[in-house]
Amino acid sequence: MIFPDMRIRFALFTFVATIVVAPFESALAEWSIPDELQAAASALNDEQTTFITSGDALKFVPERQLEHELATRNADNLRRFVDDLMSLAAQMGYDRERDMGAAPLNLNATDFNYTGMPTPAPLREFKREPGPFSVHRYMYPKSGVPTFGGAKVAIWPEDLVAGNVDVAIIGVPSNMSSGRRDALHGPFAMRAMNTIATPDIQSLLNPLEALSVVDYGNLAIDNMSVERTVGHVTDMVAETAGTGAIPMIVGGDTSMLYPGVKGIAQAHGSGSFGLLHFSAHPDAERFADHTVSDRQALFLLLDQEFVAGDETIQVGLRGPAVDVDTLQWLRDKGVRYHTMAEIQKRGYENVLKRVLREVDKGPDAFFVSIDVSAIDPGDMVAAGRATANGLSLEEVTRAIRQVCAAKEIVGFEITDLAPMLDVSAMSVMHANAVLNACLNGIAVRKSGLDPDYVHPLALDHGQR
Amino acid sequence: MTFNSNDVLAALLVASLLLAPYALAQDAGVQTPEHVTGERAYPFETKDPRVEDGPPIELPDSVAHKLALLTPEEISFLESDDARRYAGSPEDTVEALEKRSPEEVKQWVNAMQEIFSAYRYVEGRDLPNIPFNTGSPEFNAWKMKRPRSMDPAREPGAVPLGRYDGYGGPPTFGNYPLALTMEDLVAAEVDVAILGAPLNMGSGWRDSGEKATTELRRFSRPLRGMDQYALVNASRELNIVDYGDVAVDNDSTERSMQHVRDIVREIASTGAIPMIVGGDHSLEYPNVAALADVYGKENVSVIHFDSHYDAWWGDEPHLINHGYPVYRLINEGHVRGADYIQVGLRSSGLTATAFKWMREIGMRYHNMAEVEARGWDAVIERVVAEASEEGRKIHISFDIDVLDPAFTVATGTPVPGGINMREAITIVRRLCAETNVVGFDLVELHPALDPTYRTTLNSAHIIKACLVGLAMNRKGLTAVHYLDPLSSEHALDDYYGDQQEYLDATKAEEEARQEAEE
Repeated sequence: MIFPDMRIRFALFTFVATIVVAPFESALAEWSIPDELQAAASALNDEQTTFITSGDALKFVPERQLEHELATRNADNLRRFVDDLMSLAAQMGYDRERDMGAAPLNLNATDFNYTGMPTPAPLREFKREPGPFSVHRYMYPKSGVPTFGGAKVAIWPEDLVAGNVDVAIIGVPSNMSSGRRDALHGPFAMRAMNTIATPDIQSLLNPLEALSVVDYGNLAIDNMSVERTVGHVTDMVAETAGTGAIPMIVGGDTSMLYPGVKGIAQAHGSGSFGLLHFSAHPDAERFADHTVSDRQALFLLLDQEFVAGDETIQVGLRGPAVDVDTLQWLRDKGVRYHTMAEIQKRGYENVLKRVLREVDKGPDAFFVSIDVSAIDPGDMVAAGRATANGLSLEEVTRAIRQVCAAKEIVGFEITDLAPMLDVSAMSVMHANAVLNACLNGIAVRKSGLDPDYVHPLALDHGQR
Repeated sequence: MTFNSNDVLAALLVASLLLAPYALAQDAGVQTPEHVTGERAYPFETKDPRVEDGPPIELPDSVAHKLALLTPEEISFLESDDARRYAGSPEDTVEALEKRSPEEVKQWVNAMQEIFSAYRYVEGRDLPNIPFNTGSPEFNAWKMKRPRSMDPAREPGAVPLGRYDGYGGPPTFGNYPLALTMEDLVAAEVDVAILGAPLNMGSGWRDSGEKATTELRRFSRPLRGMDQYALVNASRELNIVDYGDVAVDNDSTERSMQHVRDIVREIASTGAIPMIVGGDHSLEYPNVAALADVYGKENVSVIHFDSHYDAWWGDEPHLINHGYPVYRLINEGHVRGADYIQVGLRSSGLTATAFKWMREIGMRYHNMAEVEARGWDAVIERVVAEASEEGRKIHISFDIDVLDPAFTVATGTPVPGGINMREAITIVRRLCAETNVVGFDLVELHPALDPTYRTTLNSAHIIKACLVGLAMNRKGLTAVHYLDPLSSEHALDDYYGDQQEYLDATKAEEEARQEAEE
């Protein structure tokens, strides 16, 4: 029986119940009216003055602009302006008589739970012995049904157990990126270009020989709602990890980082592993109007304590979502973040050393994840939320291979590849290289080699 | 030019007095029963009446011994229509029973019951809705409007953005001036307001968000200029504006619907024709509902150009997606089924049930199968005749996947075997000229799939065809399939046999001129 308990299947319920509507308080400081503008501000009534000096107006206009408005508007104009700002402030929050607090669903739908219901065993007409199986006719196939890295296929947990599978690569074709959307096709594109499982140039190990790797298919997704998707993905990741295999998750957009890590936490215990996350985006939105999205993924994981803040490392931050409040929040949570500013100032080699030391001092096990936006668009243009001035492919793969070789990996995830934007197919090739970097690292560790080991033949031609 | 701020303020004052009724209408908001607030359930019927349970099957005595371990409930489930999805036809069921032991049969039936129950909504087990984070202090930030007082005072009206006779500014639809409020529409006496609606929740490929509305602005040069077929220049005949983009929540189609409807209603209530550029086809629902708000329920007809019929319902739990708008509009009573005209259908998925249902409710469907049988010319005449029936107010909902992917490959769910651009331009121009069009939308443009800009440019030309038609209508050029006599015929001879009158007249003129000269 795949699902011993109905409750697991509908863990969405639990998910919503555990949402912490936590510190959603305005963090804005009070604002004092500069002396030279006091005269102008005297046109405002008490309520308006209170509003201005509370700092709430700064949500809508920057300080510089507010000073300009005070200095240049006549009294009537100024009062109307502040009234309008106050009216904005009044509209911002939720009003249950005015606003939709929850999107209604069709409770009579014949397929209400059409996502997340694998066929029960007695209904599987096709019979075979459990275990991973090849989809090829030939010993040494060059083509055929595309699988991740050309690996064998597994469908059920008993296949993973029977095959003593080390790594199960799972497609999670969610398509709800906040940026350009085509992550739906990420798993298909990464299968279609057969460049995963390239031997490691350092150890010369072939990961498919050193490890038992399978293509574990795609998970069912409701692409009209992340909320309705996370429960099943969490369950399936937990179930996969429960067999002893390492889930390597291929997104899908970055909202799936949440159920990916949560599923591992359910299998191995919350806080039992660290999180090394490469991304341009902090994904730590704290005040969002939705309960789960890519913009909130890291916030939810930390807030619900599936991973500890001080065991979380972020590399590559930059772009539109990085602001003072967010970095301060990450710092307060104990997150080891490494922005592109640090990398530019200290040099990547130094930052990588620091990251590796943080990993080394961290917990024994790590979940490694990458939103492909971490990589510079020059190397990865087909990122849903591509952001200029990022890390090179080589910088990212080197770090990931190193960490996957040095630590016990409990899970890996790559998200937000948007193949539609990948006219040259370069981004898919690079995404495969990133996944392969971790696969190679795991192979090195599994083979008992030192993470820094370089095969003598690979290091030097040996000619005098 | 100097700018006297007192004049502007006076103008604003006068305008605000004139526009008080509109402003009040806007402030009061329109609470429609479809506008679900709080955590309320959907207030309309949600069952799909087209799906009827078949009669139970009868199992032959030859397999009776296989059912030995089943309870009466389990047996009646196995015989019921509910089990057919898993157990198959009566023949398949018997075959399946024969190869199983009674123990295996019990497991098999229990598994069917389990999956059947798991698929259905169960109170207490499943969430009845998709909750938002109502604790967010920024809950409504996505659709909050910028107060006019935050920008320098200006008179209401259509705002040109360019330095050179309106040109040279940021791209707007057809380089038409910008309007942002109802007051602007009224003051500028706007005939057509083009609204971007970047809803990006379609199935298939997704890229109909802000990229779609932006690219259409960039490549919308075709929206201006003289049309050769009718010798009409829409930009001269009509006051056209770019009404900006409507805010959508691309994490929830359902949540976006009410706001889109509000903005479209805003346009229509000034008497202007809303032209909505999407965006996925879910938008048909708020667009038409808004027109029904203004013109009355069951007073608007819809011509739905699409390769898909978009009247799905009741299978998935969502109440709107880009396959559902037609059903939901009929379900909520905005449009009568008999006021729907479908053109270009050819997608897979539809069964006889769908076509029977369309016939029952009086929906006129014109599938590509009809085009194959009768030819496009005959079908186009039939469609225009149906749309021209007395008293109709027409909304055209144009999904670009009605076109063959050769012309519009950059769409979310392309289906080969569609109509071509020449056919599309003609029917859209004719409908907008010959019928009483009150609304138009063009949806499902996905620019990421459009490296040559072909789809974007073709989409712009479809919009232009309607603008030209509306301009023809304004000029009274509403005759059946009107084409300008000058541009459609050199008339140096009577090749087609219908120019003799013209030739005689010009000959007489020429003779008269010569006589006069002599």
